[in-house]
Amino acid sequence: MSIDAINISKNFGHFPALNKVNLEIPSGELVALLGPSGSGKTTLLRIIAGLEFPDSGTVRFDGNDIGARSARDRRVGFVFQHYALFRHMTVFENIAFGLRVRPRASRPSRAQIRAKVQELLKLIQLENLADRYPSQLSGGQRQRVALARALAVEPSVLLLDEPFGALDAKVRLELRRWLRQLHDEIHITSVFVTHDQEEALEVADRVVVMNEGRIEQVGSPEDVYNHPASPFVYNFLGNVNLFHGRVEEDKTYIQESETGHVVYVRPHLLDIARLPNDGSHFRARVKHINSAGPLVKVEAIAEWGDPVRVELPQERFRSLQLMKNEEVFIIPKDVKVFPARKEMARAK
Amino acid sequence: MASITLPNPGVAVAGAAHATTERAWVRWTLIAIAVTFLGVFLFLPLAVVFSSALEKGFSVYLAALRESDAMSAIKLTLIAAGIAVPLNMFFGVTAAWAIGKFDFFGKSLLVTLIDLPFSVSPVVSGLIYVLIFGLQGLLGPWLAVHDIKIIFAVPGIVLATLFVTFPFVARELIPLVESQGTEEEEAALTLGASGFQTFWRVTLPNIKWGLLYGVILCNARAMGEFGAVSVVSGHIRGRTNTMPLHIEILYNEYQFAPAFAVASLLALLALATLLAKTFVEWKARQQSAELKP
Repeated sequence: MSIDAINISKNFGHFPALNKVNLEIPSGELVALLGPSGSGKTTLLRIIAGLEFPDSGTVRFDGNDIGARSARDRRVGFVFQHYALFRHMTVFENIAFGLRVRPRASRPSRAQIRAKVQELLKLIQLENLADRYPSQLSGGQRQRVALARALAVEPSVLLLDEPFGALDAKVRLELRRWLRQLHDEIHITSVFVTHDQEEALEVADRVVVMNEGRIEQVGSPEDVYNHPASPFVYNFLGNVNLFHGRVEEDKTYIQESETGHVVYVRPHLLDIARLPNDGSHFRARVKHINSAGPLVKVEAIAEWGDPVRVELPQERFRSLQLMKNEEVFIIPKDVKVFPARKEMARAK
Repeated sequence: MASITLPNPGVAVAGAAHATTERAWVRWTLIAIAVTFLGVFLFLPLAVVFSSALEKGFSVYLAALRESDAMSAIKLTLIAAGIAVPLNMFFGVTAAWAIGKFDFFGKSLLVTLIDLPFSVSPVVSGLIYVLIFGLQGLLGPWLAVHDIKIIFAVPGIVLATLFVTFPFVARELIPLVESQGTEEEEAALTLGASGFQTFWRVTLPNIKWGLLYGVILCNARAMGEFGAVSVVSGHIRGRTNTMPLHIEILYNEYQFAPAFAVASLLALLALATLLAKTFVEWKARQQSAELKP
């Protein structure tokens, strides 16, 4: 089922949560709504689900306006950040809930419900925990139960609000790969909200980057990462160093006093050398080195006094034999230049 | 990385243990004061009630309870509590549901109003009804014409009890419902449950121990209420006397043994309430510990 959000606006008191948002989600896609807290991503998701109603604008499922339909009648599966499992019910009862509350006429028989729940338990690999209570499960298991419960009613759309937000790093990684796999199997139109750019880039078919109640960019993960439409997107999708500068013909000059342009460089797109090359470079002094992890993180102070973060591959770091307080040259391999606007200040 | 000097953890732990433990003589003095206080003000009166009740023998005790005025007082108390408690249970649940799950204009005013019976003296609560339903009261003439008796009759007693025990269930449930949030209800909604199904299958099971706790307290107060009921009852023996009022009359007539006999029933009710309350508290704690979301 495709989803169209048209001109959605929503205010909470004086706070504009969404400002004339337009979004099309084709049938069968897995879409990430990515943005910092307060960007309106969860509000948009809840409006699609019918848990919140927009001040203006329409939501369409397969072209039909569903604004007047309550959450109960929209046939959406909703997965909450904190699971929202029914704590007084077992795993089995939780998953069966959506089927058991159906009106008598459309309610499946006991045997059918049992079969359906068993099938879902198998899908989430928790067949032997059917009689446990939510409190007796780990976070990852709870979230899988929440997902099975949402899928039990065979929703036409699956909506997930920060589904992995409350889990620890390792489980989060496992579960998001599992979600990707699951989506490849059942192809249900899915939207998930996240503030974790890595999660969005890894799992989603398409990423919707949101900021301050507006959509900044919609595109494939490669698109938004490699061709950011705005400084905000570039900034949000990874670590950056921010310099001021000016552009002349095809050259970019980094200079502290300049305010015309903003120059962004990702830390891993900076190299360190002992000698200046004939291209672009600037001087810096190494202040701090952290070699734990796949990349070595070097903090340096640029010649104009601002801190610069550099990430070097381990081999490069070893061959350089970098020391603290050493004078080095930093060579940008790739930069993104945006004309300076008011947004810069906020992005910083 | 630069080394950081931490305070010696051994010293810190010893200091922490010391901070919450007093010297032996201080501890024993405090315990002695607490035990004496409990003994003199709680256990002694309780013992006196039962010993005075049985002073003239068990047969006198039973006779005092079987006497027709006593029986009618017990009956009236049961009727008043039997009506007030279920009504306030219903009201408390609906109020907690509305206040805990929804945001609306005037919410804090409603919360304050619910607390009103706690802050008003029971005598005043009783007087309010006299001023409204009494012969000289607001609705008095109309009621007199239609031959409806509220003041100095059973309806007045029920109304006064209802008013005084109004906040117990609601007060108990509002913080509980608020702390549980609305996510489970929203989940039920997206799964296709109706409002009633959501309440019956999701909200109510989550608050049942809190509800029971509130009902127990509400019942204890409903049966023991004196002030408000005293004002509206008129003390008509065998007709509008509840147990507390009956006890007072007997006592004023120097019938100590019968007075204490009836009083012992109320004391027993108090003990049963305490027991039930402890059990429910224990169950509720168990539930909240076991069934964290």
